[in-house]
Amino acid sequence: MTAIDSRPTSSPAEVQGVGSGRRGSVRSVVVGTMLTLLLLPFVPLVLASLADGYFYPQVVPERWSTRAWAIVLDPDGRTWAALRDTVGIAVVVMIVSLVVAVPAGRVLGTRRFRGKRVIELLLLSPVLVPTIAVALGIHVVFLRLGLAGGVAGVVLVHLIPATPYVVLLSAGVFANAELELEAQARALGASWWQARRHVTLRLIAPGLAVAALFGFLISWGQYVLTLVIGGGRVVTLPILLFATASGGDAAVTAATALFHGLPAIVLLVATTRVLGGAGLATFGGAR
Amino acid sequence: MGDRSVLHTRARRALRHESVRTWAALTPAVTLVLTLFGGAVVLALVRSFGLLGTDPSARPSLDAYRRLLVDPEVGRSLLLTLHVAVVSSTLAVVLGIGAALLLRGLGRGRRLTTTLFQLNLPVPHVIGAVAILSLLGQSGLLSRAATRIGMIDEPASFPALVFDPYAIGIIVQYVWKEVPFVGIVALAILHSTGDDLEEAARTLGATSWQRLRHVTLPLLLPGVLSAAVIVFAFTFGTFEVPLLLGSSFPAVLPVLAHQRYTDVDLASRPEAMAISAVITLLVLAVVVAGTTLARRTVRQDAA
Amino acid sequence: MIDLHLEGLTHRYGSVVALDRLTLDIGGGAVTALLGPSGCGKTTALKLIAGLLSPTSGRVRFGGRDVTDVPADRRGAVMVFQDHRLFPYLSAGDNVAFGLRMRGVPRRERRREAEAVLDRVGLHGLASRRPAELSGGQRQRVALARALILEPEVLLLDEPLANLDAHLRDGMRELILDVQRERELTTVVVTHDQEEAVVLAEDIALLFDGRLHQHGAPRTFFERPATERTARFFGSTNLVPGHRHGEVVDTPLGRLHVPDGAPGGPEVWVTVRPERLTVADPRAGQQVQGRVTSSSFLGTRSRAVVEVAGIRLTVDVADDALVDVGPGTALTLGLPAEALWTVPRERREGTPTSPDHEPATPGWGDDARTAADPDVEVRS
Repeated sequence: MTAIDSRPTSSPAEVQGVGSGRRGSVRSVVVGTMLTLLLLPFVPLVLASLADGYFYPQVVPERWSTRAWAIVLDPDGRTWAALRDTVGIAVVVMIVSLVVAVPAGRVLGTRRFRGKRVIELLLLSPVLVPTIAVALGIHVVFLRLGLAGGVAGVVLVHLIPATPYVVLLSAGVFANAELELEAQARALGASWWQARRHVTLRLIAPGLAVAALFGFLISWGQYVLTLVIGGGRVVTLPILLFATASGGDAAVTAATALFHGLPAIVLLVATTRVLGGAGLATFGGAR
Repeated sequence: MGDRSVLHTRARRALRHESVRTWAALTPAVTLVLTLFGGAVVLALVRSFGLLGTDPSARPSLDAYRRLLVDPEVGRSLLLTLHVAVVSSTLAVVLGIGAALLLRGLGRGRRLTTTLFQLNLPVPHVIGAVAILSLLGQSGLLSRAATRIGMIDEPASFPALVFDPYAIGIIVQYVWKEVPFVGIVALAILHSTGDDLEEAARTLGATSWQRLRHVTLPLLLPGVLSAAVIVFAFTFGTFEVPLLLGSSFPAVLPVLAHQRYTDVDLASRPEAMAISAVITLLVLAVVVAGTTLARRTVRQDAA
Repeated sequence: MIDLHLEGLTHRYGSVVALDRLTLDIGGGAVTALLGPSGCGKTTALKLIAGLLSPTSGRVRFGGRDVTDVPADRRGAVMVFQDHRLFPYLSAGDNVAFGLRMRGVPRRERRREAEAVLDRVGLHGLASRRPAELSGGQRQRVALARALILEPEVLLLDEPLANLDAHLRDGMRELILDVQRERELTTVVVTHDQEEAVVLAEDIALLFDGRLHQHGAPRTFFERPATERTARFFGSTNLVPGHRHGEVVDTPLGRLHVPDGAPGGPEVWVTVRPERLTVADPRAGQQVQGRVTSSSFLGTRSRAVVEVAGIRLTVDVADDALVDVGPGTALTLGLPAEALWTVPRERREGTPTSPDHEPATPGWGDDARTAADPDVEVRS
């Protein structure tokens, strides 16, 4: 009741009054077209993955089959092995980047100090500098250190793009959290540890979960770094997908692509509620 | 007097303590990024000067850069890469802003629409590239549909949208992936500013076009410019998308760098490093220019 | 000078009726206040006049012109918002010149005019400042200047003083009234604060729950409220329950004479403002005796709460005479007949009213309603 006066809920379209109906339907058509175009590339993948011989010029397959999915989902198959490696690497990357990033994020999100801008720029640069340059630059050293061609080396290079993201995201989380409540808890008799455990953690947990998810997804989708440092011996899902795509079985390629892409979409949708729009945009930067 | 100096010392000590804690918290992350990322960039640079290669007695030289300068393939690569980056970031920014304005005006169903709009944001680029290939390739879905309605009768008559000299497939993939990114950034700005200022402009006599021009776009500009810089950096430096969707000659610079690096002739490796150094410098130059511009537009009088 | 006519204006947000059939004539060249608690629909009404909202039904007329379908940017009414809404990326001068720019006025001319208007609102030399570099009071003045430069037919002010500190309010109020008089601007002010309405407006429209409740000159709201709700909204008035027979009302205080035309009956509240009660003045015809329960000093006045026949009456005097009157002191209060008024009393005792809607009447109100027994023996 009290909100009515101060904050009308009308959209700009509503305010325009006369003619808004027609304008509204034009808008719906444009939005519908836009969404169709954005989702269209997934359509041939779905069709191809379920086709039994998806021959030109069939638009919709004439016969259907789950053969490709059986191959992809075979627990003894290559995809499943790649999934295990991908998840394993991504989880380690997620944990390490979180441990490294959270203290830095808290400082960057809550304090002002000299050199802050420089630190932020330093942390932003791995996001901007082309990954191929990083991969090629680091390869020889990793060869000499025996890290090339192994999972450990791949984890280390995945940390390069993952850590900055998790730092910047958790800085945002801390900046928006009401950390004064921590002091309030101390004033109410909580110990340092209790205050962290019962107040700070509860305030930042959802945001940090999202930051961790980013760390995971950056590793999950990483191609160049794995290709160069893994040297073909570490086969994650993107590497496998690329190999399959060049290999020729369109149905298996399509199924592998969907198998690789769906978890990311599911995780995103699941966290939409936690994240605001601005947070989501960071996904676009997360490669 | 004694009291004051004690207090003074204490305050200074507390301050120093605070700053020690700040840097202690930053150290792990900064060390990690400096060693791995900084190390990699410095090494690429050092190796571009012909050092740390197979010959331990080599002296630093600019040979690799000289060879790049006279290599016509490199020139063509550079032009292609710039073309891809400029066209796709421009399209992504324009369409992204348009999409944000459209989505903002939606009444019912806005939540669902926004979720669908950003669905491809977390999709890894390799998948996007595979998907675009299966859509735009000569035996892809569009080609099939064109055949079905009788526009063409064989895959070869479908226009080359992938592996093509204009990099259309690559650009389409980038735009497809980056429009939601720019759109969500713009939508977040619009959301946080609300339509209060547009309302104020309306009552001051601004028409809808004037409100867009004098209120909405100036509000969006700094944030969207930063997003544009990120998009440019990305479209300039990405490897896997052009590898899958582009022609191999000329290839974009990142692909060319990888080609030279994996060349059987190990002497090409410094060239690969030199290309890496060049794309890094170009991207950083654009980033600096973009952020400076973004900061200037915030201050500059729009009048 | 143009007068406004609102005819049956209704606005719904979804299923909520924000404004319900508001019909109001607003005089040209004068200041009218739309007054009411938050959520009463007053800002909705202002936006409907500005054209920022379209009414669900009803018409808005400026003079003889029906502007209901004229969009805000061509209506000739300019609204100044409570939160000033300056464009953060423009200097104060460019903010002021914004409307002229929209009209295509050349830069040099609009700059000159902007500086002149900034001078007028007391912001000489601040044209190049950013909104972020201005104080809250200065921002509000820039927002006013931004509207004035357009020489609007109608000036709409949404809570123009609400965001200002007490010491800035007087200056802003004087400025608004000065420029309004200079230009004979038809002005509508929205406010939730009855004091603000009284000092700014010649005419007040009081809204509750989206409906026009009472409309008239400021004094009538204090001395001739139409309802209990109005009386309570205007604060700290004394309400004494009673049975009315013509011009006399039987109350726990005795039989009181009330002026002709006082509404309500037979169940009424007798209202009397604390400042209209007199202390030990033999000229006042009707007198009651009671004992002081508390007294306080209010800066420019002093106040005592006096219990009479189980009812607490608040009395204010213009000096500090009541400050040292201790609890228990006997006091004779005069109730001048012309200071008394009645409003209808709902059958249900203690009709619940949400705290949103009525400012609390300190130490008073509920006591009277519950303590009162209208059938008590009348002393004369």
